[in-house]
Amino acid sequence: MIEARELTKRYGARTAVDRLTFTVRPGVVTGFLGPNGAGKSTTIRAILGLDAPSAGTVTVDGHRYDRLAAPLREVGSLLDARAVHGGRTVRGHLLGLARSNALPRRRVDEVLGEVGLETAADRRAKGLSLGMGQRLGIAAALLGDPAVLILDEPVNGLDTEGIRWIRDLLKRLAAEGRTVFLSSHLMSEMELTADRLIVIGQGRLLADTGMRTFIEDHSKGGTRVRTPDGEAQRLRALLEAHGAQVRLDARGGWRVAGIPPAEIGELARAHHLAVHELTPVLSSLEDVYTAMTRSSVEYRGATCDMGADRVPGTTSHGKEAAG
Amino acid sequence: MSTLTGRTPGFRTALAFEWTKFAGLRSTRWTMAATGLVTVAGAVFVGVSGSLQPDDTVLGGSLTLSIVSLMIAGVVGALTVCGEYAAATVTSTFTAVPRRGRVLLAKAVLLAVLLYGVAFVSCTVAYLLGGAILEDGAYARGEPLPALFGIAALFAVVGVLGLAIGTLLRASVGSVTTVVAVLLLPSLFGPLFGDARRWVAGASPTAALEKLTQTSDAGPEAVGSLGAWPSLVLVAVYSALLLGLAAWRLRRRDV
Repeated sequence: MIEARELTKRYGARTAVDRLTFTVRPGVVTGFLGPNGAGKSTTIRAILGLDAPSAGTVTVDGHRYDRLAAPLREVGSLLDARAVHGGRTVRGHLLGLARSNALPRRRVDEVLGEVGLETAADRRAKGLSLGMGQRLGIAAALLGDPAVLILDEPVNGLDTEGIRWIRDLLKRLAAEGRTVFLSSHLMSEMELTADRLIVIGQGRLLADTGMRTFIEDHSKGGTRVRTPDGEAQRLRALLEAHGAQVRLDARGGWRVAGIPPAEIGELARAHHLAVHELTPVLSSLEDVYTAMTRSSVEYRGATCDMGADRVPGTTSHGKEAAG
Repeated sequence: MSTLTGRTPGFRTALAFEWTKFAGLRSTRWTMAATGLVTVAGAVFVGVSGSLQPDDTVLGGSLTLSIVSLMIAGVVGALTVCGEYAAATVTSTFTAVPRRGRVLLAKAVLLAVLLYGVAFVSCTVAYLLGGAILEDGAYARGEPLPALFGIAALFAVVGVLGLAIGTLLRASVGSVTTVVAVLLLPSLFGPLFGDARRWVAGASPTAALEKLTQTSDAGPEAVGSLGAWPSLVLVAVYSALLLGLAAWRLRRRDV
């Protein structure tokens, strides 16, 4: 369980995280979403005791991270999988971490097996592919068999098989009763992996809710309706007469919003119109998320315009540090 | 959740962690070896070439290049921590051991023990080699004991000094430059300070080394009249203070 209460982090005049309050519960995978620069990494660094909050608190299972006697046995974390000295071997890296927390040596081989790096154990970190480096980062997080896992962009650089592997792994770890908290900018992946969502923008909490609820509550989907070509315009006029908004659907037929699917079917039957398809359409997480965070992104763009040394649209200045 | 129970980690596990990281890298192993080899190579060179001032001692002459070794020791100290910032492994280190003062102390103890050992062995070998190669009786031998213990201790102290500088500055280039400057500049710019020269140059680790090796360069007009051992203590005291300052900063700032 991770609990943030009024967590605030200021860097000089800039407020990276602004009175953030949320709870990450055990037993489910919780996704952490926000545009670049929203404060995700700052929040995670505060949880891990790397950056001290300017105000408020954040605890793991009721304790501040820097007060944990053996932190790796309680919290496994992956911040940047590239953060391994290139000259170190895979086994050497894990062995050092194991010694730091008085973990038994056998754990090194166990986690290497778990992430499928047994054969790479004696290779130096600089020779690892992006995907293998990511697996090494996961292995380090699992080393202490922790009840809480905090992973920043864990699927970065993984191929399809690797992404599927990590999705299954995270779901299994959550099912074992662990707290799993991950950030990712890959919406489709997050939609498949996470059960709950914490969404932030400009350092403020935008949503803390279940994945399904989040999509259903914010969905602008409607219903896709297909009729034989000759009847399409009649159906449109009929539905609009009953207060629906009708537009063309990208996949053919009409996208109808404003009245529920059942009523569409009943209306069509009453007017002897054939219906070939009647599909409720939910927005994807990406649609909902984009709509929700657009305002904060635009706001950021506006503040950039005002900065004397910043030119909007230039790559060097326009990019925010990774959230 | 964790099925792993066991003894509570403390200073010893932090030290084991630092040792594993230190020993697991070719670069640190080689730099450590270089610290010893440079001094020994210097003794052989001085012995074979006979390039010794008539008033110099065998000990001082044999340890001519120990000043270079001392710089490497300071650089090793700085890179022990700057390397972690450069590779961003510092986050992994501090998530494993959030007590940052403990991490710094473990690094300091490890450096001090290793550098003491390497310096004592290499300086002793250098003295014996130099004495064997140089013409018998042509030079005063100097008093190797207890000076060699002091020289080894000075290497340990300078390693810690480098660690403190590296911790305060974080960036490798700046730290290495600073370490070298601290060791070189006092004797280079000392003459500019007139009467204060003895204090400026005399307080530097280099001065302590020259006094301990009993080289003819260590005249009182150049490095002050403070004895060899008080000089060593002086360097040790300000290095310890700087390490304390580094620990204080390390605990307060964001990683």
